[in-house]
Amino acid sequence: MTDEILRLQHLQKSYGDHQVLRDISFGIKQGEITTIIGPSGGGKSTTLRCINLLEQPTGGEIEVHGENILAAGYNLNAYRAKVGMVFQQFDLFENKNVLQNCMIGQELVLKRSKAEAKQIAMHNLEEVGMAPFINATPQQLSGGQQQRVAIARAISMNPEVLLFDEPTSALDPEMVGEVLAVMKKLAETGLTMVIVTHEIGFAKSISDRILFIADGVIAEQGTPAEILDHPQNEKTQKFLHNFRQNAF
Amino acid sequence: MKSKFRWIALLIMLLTGTALLTTGQPVQAAKQSTLKIGMEANYPPYNWTQTNANNGAVPIEGSRQYANGYDVKIAKRIGQQLHRKVVVVKTEWDGLLPALTSGKIDLIIAGMSPTAARRKAINFSQPYRKSTFVIITNKNSKYARAKKLSDFKGAKLTAQQGTLHYGLIKQLPGAKRENAMRDFSAMRQSLTAGTINGYVAEDTEYESFKTANRNITAINLNKMSGFHVNPDEAEVSIGVKKGNDQLLTAVNKVLAGISNHQRQQMMSAAVKQQPQIKTKHTNWFINMMHRYGGMILGGVGMTILLALVGTLAGFIIGLLVSIVRTMPDPTKTGNRWLLNFCKWLLAVYVEVFRGTPMMVQAAVIYYGIAQFWHVNLNRTIAALVIVSINTGAYLAEVIRGGIIATPQGQFEAASALGMTHNQQMWHIILPQAIKNCLPSITNEFIVNIKDTSVLSIISVSELFFVGTTIASQSFQFFQTYFVISMIYLIMTFTITRIFNLIEKKLAGSRNYNLMANQVQVGTPQDGEANN
Repeated sequence: MTDEILRLQHLQKSYGDHQVLRDISFGIKQGEITTIIGPSGGGKSTTLRCINLLEQPTGGEIEVHGENILAAGYNLNAYRAKVGMVFQQFDLFENKNVLQNCMIGQELVLKRSKAEAKQIAMHNLEEVGMAPFINATPQQLSGGQQQRVAIARAISMNPEVLLFDEPTSALDPEMVGEVLAVMKKLAETGLTMVIVTHEIGFAKSISDRILFIADGVIAEQGTPAEILDHPQNEKTQKFLHNFRQNAF
Repeated sequence: MKSKFRWIALLIMLLTGTALLTTGQPVQAAKQSTLKIGMEANYPPYNWTQTNANNGAVPIEGSRQYANGYDVKIAKRIGQQLHRKVVVVKTEWDGLLPALTSGKIDLIIAGMSPTAARRKAINFSQPYRKSTFVIITNKNSKYARAKKLSDFKGAKLTAQQGTLHYGLIKQLPGAKRENAMRDFSAMRQSLTAGTINGYVAEDTEYESFKTANRNITAINLNKMSGFHVNPDEAEVSIGVKKGNDQLLTAVNKVLAGISNHQRQQMMSAAVKQQPQIKTKHTNWFINMMHRYGGMILGGVGMTILLALVGTLAGFIIGLLVSIVRTMPDPTKTGNRWLLNFCKWLLAVYVEVFRGTPMMVQAAVIYYGIAQFWHVNLNRTIAALVIVSINTGAYLAEVIRGGIIATPQGQFEAASALGMTHNQQMWHIILPQAIKNCLPSITNEFIVNIKDTSVLSIISVSELFFVGTTIASQSFQFFQTYFVISMIYLIMTFTITRIFNLIEKKLAGSRNYNLMANQVQVGTPQDGEANN
């Protein structure tokens, strides 16, 4: 486990009396693709949002290269810059065009020069196939296009880990494919990714490891074959059964 | 964390900065060279405003107009003997006492009676005129033949607000006391229009109104049995600030030297000289523009200046206030306490200035500062500060609303990139929030154009104040206010169009160009390297 870049230790999150995360512990290795699946309300998204501290955990530790980032005095903004996030609703900056969306974080947070930021942004927009749209504003793009720009925005920051929070859930079915294709391409570059998704088929094809989270704990984890083809936990079995029934 | 507090510091600097600006002018009430006389300059024949220096008129401070009348003639006699140059400070009736007690003027010579209530606040000289009280009514009215007090039963009567005339109506059994009116112009208009049957005034008002309207008559109340007026109240005296006994003695000495005959002559001259309706047979509009065009233009300029500066400065104040009020809690306890205290202070500011009328704020700030801190604010600067602070309170809430209404995802996406709170605000949130607030800001601008009219309380010569002056001089009430309302409409309409254009511009084009050739920006090596 020496090449783990991130480790969650007994992570907990409560909203008042309601405990969403009871005890979540897992590590993320360099270059690994981890997929989190599970029933709605089980804590998948909350886990992901705790990783980049959009939600403040109420217990446990988050270690980055062995250092606890929840300790007082840790530079959280520098940490967040290293952990990219792609949102369900894309959340592109509506007052910026496509190119500016991909440049602003580099300029403000990484202090890159305008020229350098533009070069990197252009390169990544090209990778996701959105280079021709650099002058468009988010409102002028389709959902799939917006999500591809959001991915380019995130990877322009050269993150160590990229988190995906149900990146295709808000898309029309015909746009899901283009986003998944971009994610697959990214995975092949060796980027470390943590993906929360309902696309079981996609999870199977891309993941090194799948976590099944339900009721605030990791109910089961293993390779795609172990989890999807031979689930041991009763909840996993029920979830996959329901999923297959509803899929067709 | 530090950078967050930079904004609080900036805000405090801004507030103290405006305070310094306003304290820049020390009181000069004691300056011996001029004798500042407070009057309405709107109450002929005692005092009125004219555009030239004819008939020995005296300049009105801070304007290119002149004041004249019986009061001015008396004031000039006093000035001559005290060897001080007389300057008239045009002041609304209700503003006269505060202006005197706060040292903005040296004397009130405004046809004012020395009532017991007023004596509590200021001292009065010996009377410089004794009045006869009359009811002014239409010649063909049934009340025109009244012989005793009870003959006014059922008559709708009024008098000027804040004068003892209004209280006299109570002595007429059965008379209906209508709401008191601001000035004689309004009462003349109401009588002509028939909304009242008459009003209580002095015989001098009859003398002067008679020259404008031949259909009116006056019924002398003094001679009717049962009519009682405190001798103090039937007289008009000069108001002097309490404690200023030297000036009071000097004024009394001068008054003692003016004989009754001389006083009567001065009053007759004033009645003759007061503004008359010019019956030229040209178009009334051309006439008005010819006589008052400059005044109207000045009023328009002042109104636009107040609204523009008020809205811009108010926007900046509102922006800073709303930024501080939407700051997240810092982690350090000390900082959190400081921030919460600032937020509380700003909440108080917003509540106070939103929760009180601007007119009252103007009176409190303008007269209050002079009275308690002995700082004589320049009227225009005071007006600008008041409009700015007032607008700031409204826009603080408008912009705060805009910030809160910005989708949570915009904050989260910016956080996820590692932006600090300040970077998020300036680069992502505020540009969107302000754009969304623009219709409300336009609204505030338009409200300001109209609502600056309440600043006439501190005698700022904006459009409405100018309109009132013109109406009282020309007696063309409908025409004057109609022209004034048209000018307001043109101003607000124009501003609406301008802001609509800005909104359109900010919304941006719906078209965009595909930039296929931008691919060239990436160099061939970049194509290989992956992030």
